[in-house]
Amino acid sequence: MEIKDILSPDCTHCAVQGTSKKRILEIISQVVSDHLPSLEPSLILSSLLCREKMGSTGIGNGIAIPHGRIEGLEEVVAALITSDTTVEFDAIDNKPVDIFFAIFVPEGQAEGHLQTLAMIAGKLNDKNTIKRIRSARGNVQLFEAITQ
Amino acid sequence: MRVEKTLTIVNKLGLHARAATQLVKLAQTFDAEVTLVQGNKQASANSVLGLMMLESSQGKEVTVISEGHDANEALKAIEQLIVEKRFNEKE
Repeated sequence: MEIKDILSPDCTHCAVQGTSKKRILEIISQVVSDHLPSLEPSLILSSLLCREKMGSTGIGNGIAIPHGRIEGLEEVVAALITSDTTVEFDAIDNKPVDIFFAIFVPEGQAEGHLQTLAMIAGKLNDKNTIKRIRSARGNVQLFEAITQ
Repeated sequence: MRVEKTLTIVNKLGLHARAATQLVKLAQTFDAEVTLVQGNKQASANSVLGLMMLESSQGKEVTVISEGHDANEALKAIEQLIVEKRFNEKE
């Protein structure tokens, strides 16, 4: 599996204006709902909020991986958002976040999800990829940064 | 001091994001340097991304290597989280 199997260019948004954790999660929900119109933004948002309640998905170094399980979703779908300013996200290292890689998995398909996670982690753990993500100007460059 | 122990991942979901985060948070409370090894892959217990890259699913064996003056305590705490508490998950 590759990033482009789960992430499409229309779910890749560079330098969004998000001033809070909640606002960023709302933007992600809207982006994914635009991509999959059968999913209401409120349903997507509540799946993300439900997960954040169990502990922040801010995994350090300015990166967060908000995720949720969604009933009725047919396959794993992802969104990549960067914010123009960093956002407080209760991250594990207490640093604010500017890279958000959101992942949505079908309800009841929790197993077999580790492989997807490992693939995404491999990308986000690569310093050059992160450098390209942070220096991307525009959605197309951002998509290229994560998929190349 | 350097200690190591091989543990089996027992929780159903394996070392997913939340489990990895709990492990990093716990490891951060010790001075010891903790490394997890699974097959030919290894990751620092300081890195959520590194741990997720191990792809440790239920039943996998991971060797926890702990180095430092509180290596024993760190290893014990991590063993408790992985094996006894199964990352505070029900299954």
